Amino acid sequence: MEGGSKQEMQEKKDWGRRFHDGLASLKLTVVILLALAVSSVLGTLLPQGLSDHQLEAAFPRIYWAIDLFSLGDLYHSGWFRFMMGLLCVNLVVCTLKRIPRTLKLLRHREENLSPERLEKFGLHARFETSRSWEDVKPVVEEVVRRHFAPLKSAGAQGRGGVAEKGRWSPWMVYTVHFSVLVVFAGALAGSIWGFNGSMRIHEGDASNVVGIFREQRMVELPFRVRCDDFTVSFYEGKAMPSDFRSDLTLLRGDEVLLQRTIRVNDPLTYEGYTFYQSSYGSNLREAVLEFKDLESGRTETVTLPFQEPRPLPGTDYQVQLVRYEESFSDFGRALGVVIFKEGEEPQGSWILADRPDFHGNRLGDRSVKVASLEETEYTGLQVKKDPGVWIVYLGFVALIVGVGLASYSSHRKVWVGAAGRSPSAEIVLAGRANKNPLSFEREFNALRERLEEELKAEK
Amino acid sequence: MSSSLLLSVTTFAYLACTVVYLAGVIFHRERLLAWGGRIAAGTLGIQTVALLLRWYESYEMGHGHAPLSNLYESLVFGAWAVMVVYLPLEWRTKHRSLGVFPAFISFLCMAYASFSPDVASHIQPLLPALKSNWLIAHVITCFLGYAAFAVAFGISVFYLLKRAHAGNPHPKGVFALMPDLRELDELNYQMILFGFLWLSVGIITGSVWANSAWGNYWSWDPKETWSLITWLVYAALLHARAMKGWRGKRVAWLSLAGFACVIFTYLGVNFLLSGLHSYATK
Repeated sequence: MEGGSKQEMQEKKDWGRRFHDGLASLKLTVVILLALAVSSVLGTLLPQGLSDHQLEAAFPRIYWAIDLFSLGDLYHSGWFRFMMGLLCVNLVVCTLKRIPRTLKLLRHREENLSPERLEKFGLHARFETSRSWEDVKPVVEEVVRRHFAPLKSAGAQGRGGVAEKGRWSPWMVYTVHFSVLVVFAGALAGSIWGFNGSMRIHEGDASNVVGIFREQRMVELPFRVRCDDFTVSFYEGKAMPSDFRSDLTLLRGDEVLLQRTIRVNDPLTYEGYTFYQSSYGSNLREAVLEFKDLESGRTETVTLPFQEPRPLPGTDYQVQLVRYEESFSDFGRALGVVIFKEGEEPQGSWILADRPDFHGNRLGDRSVKVASLEETEYTGLQVKKDPGVWIVYLGFVALIVGVGLASYSSHRKVWVGAAGRSPSAEIVLAGRANKNPLSFEREFNALRERLEEELKAEK
Repeated sequence: MSSSLLLSVTTFAYLACTVVYLAGVIFHRERLLAWGGRIAAGTLGIQTVALLLRWYESYEMGHGHAPLSNLYESLVFGAWAVMVVYLPLEWRTKHRSLGVFPAFISFLCMAYASFSPDVASHIQPLLPALKSNWLIAHVITCFLGYAAFAVAFGISVFYLLKRAHAGNPHPKGVFALMPDLRELDELNYQMILFGFLWLSVGIITGSVWANSAWGNYWSWDPKETWSLITWLVYAALLHARAMKGWRGKRVAWLSLAGFACVIFTYLGVNFLLSGLHSYATK
């Protein structure tokens, strides 16, 4: 009984260890990186951010798979986030596993290597000199110091030494890994405490409501944003805009907090909220409509602000402009007008503004004519609050520094050992680098040549 | 003297350069390879003058922007970047046979830019979104990355060819002037490290730029995503190299896959997918 449970414990331990080793393995890293790459490809082939309805219409056959794996919003889906999370876990576990090894490797200076051992190095050279080690030691030390790094005395009875460069280099890989975690942490902070939405403000209007399309919710700003003026200029004779800008005023109550102009590439930041110029367009402000009663022949003229109901004089009906199209399938501008009163089904119709004689310009038993239209330009702003962005940037800097230093630095060691007895000595030079063997070979060969020359000159 | 004339000369000079390098490798003539290197350096000089001239011409026309703003200019810059990354490698290692692919890739870029009817070569004004100093930093860093990957691609092809014919080492054969397999693998790795560094900087500058212009440092736009895919593939390669049995052949294949991603990021995305970088198709 007892033996069995012990065995079970042992098995459990094995499983635990295997699981831990698996999480720390390089293989897992490569698999996750490639899996993330392949799934990202999928996300670029399939249009993202469409509604379920649009997706079903566009891909009727594979819609079930799109729905099942949330491929329509792949980069925000649970399984994609799970892979990113797994990558982070892999990074952390792998780092924790390797740090002790790196420490051990750095601490283990291999100071007492005999000349015989040094001659087994891939990179080594042997010099003969007619003088004793004690005599040539200052020369060797000087050459190694000048062309490599200070030589620390080591070896049996100090008959040799070790010089090291780039002891910090093995840490750079950890910097890269850490920077990836920092970027993820910043992104997470941004998604928890920040938002990214948009607002449309007509010239002269003010608003404090930001719509967040993706999450279908609204955010209220602690101040209002007024668009005083919007201008767009075009390249001469071209439809391509050269510049567009909005003059904005930020208001709290009636108090003006700030006035500034924003344009593309030149946003405005206030109290952690940033406003970007992202788009523009025009919309209906108000229209003057003539309603003619076909029975009595009486005509009523009503001024209708966009989307606000107004009473139709002489009746108990209300009329409202609900939609506006700048080009209604080749018929020009069209207004969606609705007429309603309590206890009756509302009636609606499209009224063509540019075709006043169109027979369909009717609403119930009234014909409708657009006497005048007033359009207004609106500015499209992107509004963002992201407290995590500085963390992300910190990660970016660490990533660049880390990748650069991890690629172009290495931990290089050079050993010197003396064999033979006085009055003559044989000197063995050996070297090893943890990375970039070719460039270290060049560095080592240069050092060897210098040493050879100096030892000859000393003779 | 106009920049477009100089760029035409550049196109044909890269072709000549490719032919000379290739002849040097096939006929096993070290001297031809040396000439390949000289022509390459000369062509790079002419192209540098042409690029500066085009920049100056854009100021003359009143647009005043660096020649990095559309597909034509980026192709020309790409050809330039490949040579800028490759030539120091040749000078450092003295392995001139490696020049075949970089010269050919530079020629292809120039030829596509000059002869394709889809590519407009005249100097155009800048879109408002591109009016930023980030443009120069972003494009230059990305292209240094792409160029290094292009050179690594050539080295990987050499590696795979040489390895496939390792059975009959003919002293005067096509593969004789190529570096040995260990060195090819090492040079491939060095180029990929260089490319990975610059691609990282390129993605990051793009990201910071996007944040300062549009308020999003990452929006999963197809171009962004494909640059990340490329980054992931090369990141996988760098890790795979540390795994047993992956160094050499498999890493060379991954390098080819990575370069396919580079091409798709650069060209495929513009033509096949739509997104923020739509101005790069014209």
